[in-house]
Amino acid sequence: MKTETNLKFRPVDEEQKIKLKTTRFGEIEVPRENVIHMPGGVLGFPGYKDYILVPHKENSPFLWYQSLDDPALAFVVINALIVKPDYDVPISSALVEGLSAGRIEELELLAIVTIPKDRPQDMTANLLGPIVINPAKRLAKQIVLDPERYSTKTLILPQKK
Amino acid sequence: MLVLTRRKGESIIIGDDIRVYVVDVKGKQVRLGIEAPPHAPVHREEVYRIIQLENQYAAREAPLDLNQASSVWKEEKEGGKDEN
Repeated sequence: MKTETNLKFRPVDEEQKIKLKTTRFGEIEVPRENVIHMPGGVLGFPGYKDYILVPHKENSPFLWYQSLDDPALAFVVINALIVKPDYDVPISSALVEGLSAGRIEELELLAIVTIPKDRPQDMTANLLGPIVINPAKRLAKQIVLDPERYSTKTLILPQKK
Repeated sequence: MLVLTRRKGESIIIGDDIRVYVVDVKGKQVRLGIEAPPHAPVHREEVYRIIQLENQYAAREAPLDLNQASSVWKEEKEGGKDEN
């Protein structure tokens, strides 16, 4: 009887995980429900619409935003509120609805981080074009804010003189 | 490229569900009103391009691992070095 039960459950588990080839983490398995869908893609990467978030490690503020379509395509992202605690983003009710959320509070803001090669001190966050994400529904969209207020290159760390 | 002449108050329709109005014309500036469904986001082109370029740059510069970046981060934020 026990064996039967196991057999029943195992195929279901396997079905829910997808195998994913990545340049940085090799082949990884992620639960299908962790896949984040971006109908509009990341601007400049229109064909790449599915991503997963891979936390870098404990005590690191960074996460990888890894494309499911291209093993080599991964962005470094950070919770935008870590970079700018008073980050005030106008979010329309159409966007809340478009991301299948009931309320604005359900949404989170990620900023794409640019880390110049050999100059990690100069890392910047893109606060002009944050990724708005509904973690519960795994839907996300990169939005465009007002260039008078926000920059694509907000320094994250204090600059050494 | 299709070129049309429109006056203030007139509009054009693109496809079935995108409408662009000429709200006002003053000197060298034209104010446009745009109605578009959510699947057709509207952006000022120069802002859209800046974000596109930054995304492409971010993807190109993304390191193979983040240990150096997170250790610089830790030094600054917590005054402690990352062990890895």
